[in-house]
Amino acid sequence: VTGSAVAEDGLVIDPDELHRAQDYYHERGWTDGLPVVPVTESYLAEFLARTGRDPDEVVLAMPQLNKECTVRLAALNAALAGCRPEYFPVVLAAWDSLVTENYAPRGIWQSTTGTAPLLIVNGPVRHAIGLNSQGNVFGSGFRANAAIGRSIRLTAINVFGLRPHQLDQATQGTLGKYSACIAENEEDSPWPALHTDHGLAASDSAVTAMVIRSCIHIEARHAQEPEQLALDIADTLARTGALVHETTSGCAVLGPEHARLFARAGWSKSDVQQALYDRALVSRAKLTAVGKDALSRKSRWRLSSDHPDAMPDEAPAVQGDPDAVRALNSPAAVVVLVAGAGNAGVSTILETLGPRGGPPAVTRVEQAGG
Amino acid sequence: MAKVQGFPGYAFATVPHPVASLDAEQLRDAARGVLPEVLTILGVQQ
Repeated sequence: VTGSAVAEDGLVIDPDELHRAQDYYHERGWTDGLPVVPVTESYLAEFLARTGRDPDEVVLAMPQLNKECTVRLAALNAALAGCRPEYFPVVLAAWDSLVTENYAPRGIWQSTTGTAPLLIVNGPVRHAIGLNSQGNVFGSGFRANAAIGRSIRLTAINVFGLRPHQLDQATQGTLGKYSACIAENEEDSPWPALHTDHGLAASDSAVTAMVIRSCIHIEARHAQEPEQLALDIADTLARTGALVHETTSGCAVLGPEHARLFARAGWSKSDVQQALYDRALVSRAKLTAVGKDALSRKSRWRLSSDHPDAMPDEAPAVQGDPDAVRALNSPAAVVVLVAGAGNAGVSTILETLGPRGGPPAVTRVEQAGG
Repeated sequence: MAKVQGFPGYAFATVPHPVASLDAEQLRDAARGVLPEVLTILGVQQ
């Protein structure tokens, strides 16, 4: 087919022009491999009108790369990613959260660890822009989730030059590098929302950024006892493969069915965090068997006691058991929230690079003029 | 990295992976192997 095609609603489309535009962007390396949305000055202006911030304001700087992302560049890449202009306040809050979290400015996107920046959205903006928090969360099908998460990746590529095999040195990436944005299912959660745990009102909207590597499902459809379910989830948190450093951290994204099981037993969100902390244990014998029983003198990464850089792991005994080592350094090292459908007993552990005891990076979404 | 820091001609030597899993003697061998290149960059030898 050549020439223009007219859709039922009168929209005129020239497929040849679309193909040429996509080739133009691809040839310049301005994509993540998927088609992008062509951006004009007037379309960019619609995004900038959604914030009171100066287009030249720096939202994130990487001095090691001599590069800065401004509000304008963040808007440009949001548009390229397929965002609608009304998503842009969420994108800006995401950038502020990434700065607060402080892994991206220090170079985690260049690292061999191959992480992705997960964005968790709370508050009324979820419904206002159509973010999915329910069935198929983490999956496809929702423009706001897909495009907001993707806007961060496209900015990493186009503004900071973090292309794979070049300044992005990931040994193995993770599927979330295309896009990783979810919303909390506040309506089906028995507990207060994540952002209200950290000083914001339920009527506020917020974005929490988190460096993630793996996304591991917990199958427990027949669970009835909260202690058993907590042990099942904690077992994944404490897997030896996740232990880069002395301890690890995670985000437990509980399906509504699992959250309600805990809540019915009278457990608060803090109780779940404490239960996971108590049960996330790994034995010294297992650490020895996998060659992670000692620590590096320089980096404190886990390695074998036979390694020339090794020093002993002197973690204290847990509850009188000298063979047990904690996988988490505090209950706060696992963030708990609720997302997904209430149609099965399934939850997810996101393996994160922090926080290990500090608060998550929660940022309020600011609308223009408000 | 040298290019983004405005010094595209910056000379550097590389040591092949792996490094983290080497024992002390293997590390010494890797250092010995790269030493001539380092000395050339520093202008100590041609």
